[in-house]
Amino acid sequence: MTNLALINHDTKLSDIVIAEPSALTVLNRFGIRLGLGDLTVARACAQLGIDPDFMATIINTYLHEDYFPDRIHSTFKAATIVDYLGQTNNYYIHFHLPVIERHFGLLISKSDPANNNLGLMLKFFMEVKQQLLDRIADDHEHWFPAILQAEANASDTIETSIRTDDCDADTVEDKLNDLISMMVIHLSGKYDTNLALAVLMALTSLKNDLTQNNRIRNRLLKPMFHVLINNH
Amino acid sequence: MSRQVVIILHNAMEAAGLRRVIDDTFGIDAHVLHTIDQLLRLPADHIDVVVTDAQHFVENLRTFLPRKARTIVLVDKPALGDGDINIVDTLHGTEPIVDALSAFLDEKDDETSASLLSQREIEVLRLVASGMINKQIADTLNISINTVLTHRKNITAKLGIKSVSGLSFYAMMNGIIDPK
Repeated sequence: MTNLALINHDTKLSDIVIAEPSALTVLNRFGIRLGLGDLTVARACAQLGIDPDFMATIINTYLHEDYFPDRIHSTFKAATIVDYLGQTNNYYIHFHLPVIERHFGLLISKSDPANNNLGLMLKFFMEVKQQLLDRIADDHEHWFPAILQAEANASDTIETSIRTDDCDADTVEDKLNDLISMMVIHLSGKYDTNLALAVLMALTSLKNDLTQNNRIRNRLLKPMFHVLINNH
Repeated sequence: MSRQVVIILHNAMEAAGLRRVIDDTFGIDAHVLHTIDQLLRLPADHIDVVVTDAQHFVENLRTFLPRKARTIVLVDKPALGDGDINIVDTLHGTEPIVDALSAFLDEKDDETSASLLSQREIEVLRLVASGMINKQIADTLNISINTVLTHRKNITAKLGIKSVSGLSFYAMMNGIIDPK
């Protein structure tokens, strides 16, 4: 939970990242890198050709658990959110998941071979990873195309079954929480402390990022999709 | 250490009958109380379970809500079993009450052991990890689904693990089931 005030057009990007370093991952997905200078939300958006209300809404939704956008501006494009979430998925595939796997591998190689707990935790992580990859594939094969199709008004036959996070099955987020609990509460035997910490930090970072981006899916993209569907 | 069960029901006959069932099943001499004041005079940390009825519970929320984790509320309608409050319906005799009491008293039995879970919870965990759903677990252990839900809630609270996969891997890590 952040203590940062709500972001507006005049907020400096450096102030956001200093207060909440995790916001850098959001900026990265807009193509903004470190070395922010005194760039504000408005000036960054002018350079990128993005609606500043949109960027402020994305960052506020990401950082503030209690923030619900009061209105979805007509200038917001579902395609821009789809692009953002697509970048997010790529980040998971090419950065977050490999980092955790690499740290786990190192942790196991540097720990007591008789400690089978770590091997089982890695196996559990591989199951979580596959579930996340399946979910990402579903985004790209079904949900995102359906949204883009609805926005383009290209067809009368739009797939309306969208991913929901409230089904009975255990979610990726549930399982990541469990994996974190296993490490924090139940890890036993001899292991490398620093590498265990690296695994734990990477797992926590992935879980937090998924949770924060779920807010963007559920509070921005889903309402926009329903509006698009109802307009047909 | 002897276990303390308190019964506080409006119907004195039901209270006496339940006291006898508890004595027969658990060998515990339950205290039958008639007023909430009597309950308040007992040291709260000496009571393992309070069994009461919906009327007492609703009329004395200020007393019962802080103790809800150790209170069983008897109702004469089908009970929903997934809330924070341990509600047991009395439509099917005393068996569901005994099940619910077992969940509390089994747990108490094992508090001095090194294990984080009671024997009954380990048994439930083993069945969850082997892929059984709640109904199958209830049938296998001859307990009600409400009791299975209570055990599962306790397991998750103790272990910090909620998902079936997570529980399965925990069970493998601790030799409760064989690794796949």
